[in-house]
Amino acid sequence: MTPELALQQALNGISFGALLFVLAAGLSLIFGMMDVVNLAHGSFYMLGAYAALSVVRLTGSFWIALILVPLALALLGAVLEPLLLRRLRGRHLDQVLITIGLSLVIADFIRLRKDWGWGAEVRSLAIPAGLDHSISLAGNDYPIYRLFVIGFAAALAAVLAVIYRRTRIGALIRAGVGDAQMLSVLGVNTDRLFAVTFAAGAGLAGLAGVVAAPIFGLQPGMDVDALIYSLIVVVVGGLGSLGGAMAGSSVVGPADTFGKVLFPQFALALIFAIMAVVLLFRPTGLLGRVRISR
Amino acid sequence: MIETRELRRRFGGINALDGVDLSVSEGERRALIGPNGAGKTTLFNVLTGELGATGGQVRLAGSDISALRPWQRARRGLARMYQRNELFDPLPARENVRLAIAASRGAYRPLSSVARADASAADEMLDGVGLAGKGATPARALSHGERRQLELALALARRPRVLLLDEPTAGMSPTETAKIADLIASLDRALTLLIVEHDMDVVFRLADRISVLHEGRVIAEGTPEQIRGDTLVHDVYLGKAVPM
Amino acid sequence: MILRSVRLAALALAALALIAFPQWSEGWESSRYATSILRDILIFAIFASSLNLLVGYAGLPSLGHAAFFGGGAYAAAIAAQRAGTDNLLLSLGAATVVAGILAAVIGFLSVRALGIFFLMLTLAFGQMVFAIAFQATDITGGSNGFAGVRRPELLGMDFNSADALYRLVCVVFIAVVLLLWRVVSSPYGRALVGVRENERRMRALGYDTRTLKFSAFVLAGAVAGIAGGLSAYAFRFVSPNDVAIGASITGFVMVLIGGAGTLAGPIVGAAVVLYIERVLSSSIDFSQTVLGVVFVLFVLLARQGIVGVARGAVHRIAP
Repeated sequence: MTPELALQQALNGISFGALLFVLAAGLSLIFGMMDVVNLAHGSFYMLGAYAALSVVRLTGSFWIALILVPLALALLGAVLEPLLLRRLRGRHLDQVLITIGLSLVIADFIRLRKDWGWGAEVRSLAIPAGLDHSISLAGNDYPIYRLFVIGFAAALAAVLAVIYRRTRIGALIRAGVGDAQMLSVLGVNTDRLFAVTFAAGAGLAGLAGVVAAPIFGLQPGMDVDALIYSLIVVVVGGLGSLGGAMAGSSVVGPADTFGKVLFPQFALALIFAIMAVVLLFRPTGLLGRVRISR
Repeated sequence: MIETRELRRRFGGINALDGVDLSVSEGERRALIGPNGAGKTTLFNVLTGELGATGGQVRLAGSDISALRPWQRARRGLARMYQRNELFDPLPARENVRLAIAASRGAYRPLSSVARADASAADEMLDGVGLAGKGATPARALSHGERRQLELALALARRPRVLLLDEPTAGMSPTETAKIADLIASLDRALTLLIVEHDMDVVFRLADRISVLHEGRVIAEGTPEQIRGDTLVHDVYLGKAVPM
Repeated sequence: MILRSVRLAALALAALALIAFPQWSEGWESSRYATSILRDILIFAIFASSLNLLVGYAGLPSLGHAAFFGGGAYAAAIAAQRAGTDNLLLSLGAATVVAGILAAVIGFLSVRALGIFFLMLTLAFGQMVFAIAFQATDITGGSNGFAGVRRPELLGMDFNSADALYRLVCVVFIAVVLLLWRVVSSPYGRALVGVRENERRMRALGYDTRTLKFSAFVLAGAVAGIAGGLSAYAFRFVSPNDVAIGASITGFVMVLIGGAGTLAGPIVGAAVVLYIERVLSSSIDFSQTVLGVVFVLFVLLARQGIVGVARGAVHRIAP
């Protein structure tokens, strides 16, 4: 591998990792707070991407989509949590099952909405004007959009870190990840906190969908792929924390990219092997903050 | 019959068990008392193997069982009545006991039918703990006192040699307490008992000897009278709880 | 309480009627179609029943169970094509053994984990098997799948005709159900329920719960492999989709809708799900949505599944 190729792949790996962070952060928080593995997380990502398609078609602006779509997904999450998950408090497996049902419904919904320009064919979203050229890096051309993704994720991480560490809601979320029952005893409205967390997770997944669409396109099955990757990131990096999502995505992003380049036969299996190894020897992940309980 | 030698258990910076030496003879009824945080529950967890020791030994009938897993210790005759009931809630009381009895007859019989003998043995067991006629009631539908009785039945079903009783009267009314205390008092004298209790009346009624645990160590040991008169124990724990 | 012997007689009659279905339904307009749907229901009922042993009885939520179904399917296909064996026992035996070995490896690593971690581990391993099936084009045919699977024969009987294959599936189905019935009613089966309800207490009673869980995992995997082998013969085709997470989820849906922890539940569940996926889908476009919504409703309102609800109703009428 030439140094130029290595640099390119490194940047690819970092930008993929950046995307994975945006995608996985929400899943990590939802699990840490509510002990629920949201198996509809990939569906929210997919929904975000397809919603971006429509918003861009209607308004002509990618940036409007970048703002509107995550908000819409967050709203959806805020509605779904009390509707579906709240009645199943304490029944963790059942909550996971319901998210499975939800993912089936969302996937079919997208497949059926041909009238909205969605449907089952492969679609693409154009890179926004202004970011659609390349710059010269170490002798080769590298797409600016990928660099934007890295920058965007870094900025988002910084904003999230500030919210997480410096604001009241962040403190509540951190406390909730540690012990939600204790919080409710202290008089905090945990129902609302859970709804907010779930909404935030959905919003972040949708945001990831919008940002990823110009790179990866849109097709059936992208929800499953996204879910699998976010699960791997969350398991490797640590359940229940933003830092964990960051750690996990920084490992999985480059590992997956370089794996696909160096040994494409085994790249897929390699990633799952990493996940399995971590689950076996350090179930809480590299930076996990969640205790293992029955 | 059951003994510990220099038993230690650390949690981070805390020595929950700081060199516990305990020796209970066969058929003896030993009570374990001490203030909250003294290490009593930790000691029980280490004895059953649910928690590992960071130092020292646990010995059962002369052999070192420190390396054995909980289910292996159970098969050697160690049983436990948990402080917070560990029952099979949705199952009928009879099924709860039947599972316990089937354990001693071998669990790996995937193709044989459940013996009728198991069912009648289960009913006998239920009678023995005062739950006659409640065989078909789901465990979660029993009253608190009845659940404690079922908990005791599960512990006794394997005919253990050593029975660890973790606060058997926890959360009980005076009538229920008296019932359970009677039951325990009536147990076979060949059975070795180790009882953790806060209710001093029960302790002084049932125990042959008392060990006092404080900050992970046994600070006093003797007959109930000796413990009653021990000033160190008095200072540490009994205080105004028992009239001198 | 219906007499035990009457119940047994009724079941025996039902079994005979099942085997003879192609004959007595000959007059129906869509007899061929009905037979093939029924055949597939029985195959997936075997798969769902094996998952039910894990999920419903032992309380082990496995999301990678399709790995054993597909593993068995590939094994049966490869046994016929590559190993050149046409013997039913060898072929189906290979399916069972390969699936069982796969389950032993994955199970050994997974059962040490609890609850949600077990779920994620089985999902990860299932995906690994999918990845291998997808990439190992030389062995499995890769993303194109393994086509042209030959149906085996036994003692001169061949199963190329639809009716003959149907009868084979029926017989295997009945045998599997009888086996699972036996297992579930045995002390071993009860011990699995005990592990589900309170593993800590089971250990304190002297049960080696890890070995119990492991053996259930392997047994369930092997039975899933049988279903996989039958499916390879039925469709004459195996693809990575047979080991994909979608197939594992479908199995879960079948178990839950039918009734987890009951013998009849997975059979009913398989019938319902296949009806929605095959029959309903030919008249409406949104059958997957229907399936998803039905599943959500059951989780919310009828967690015990159809059979569970039916039992509850019967108990209220005749306690």
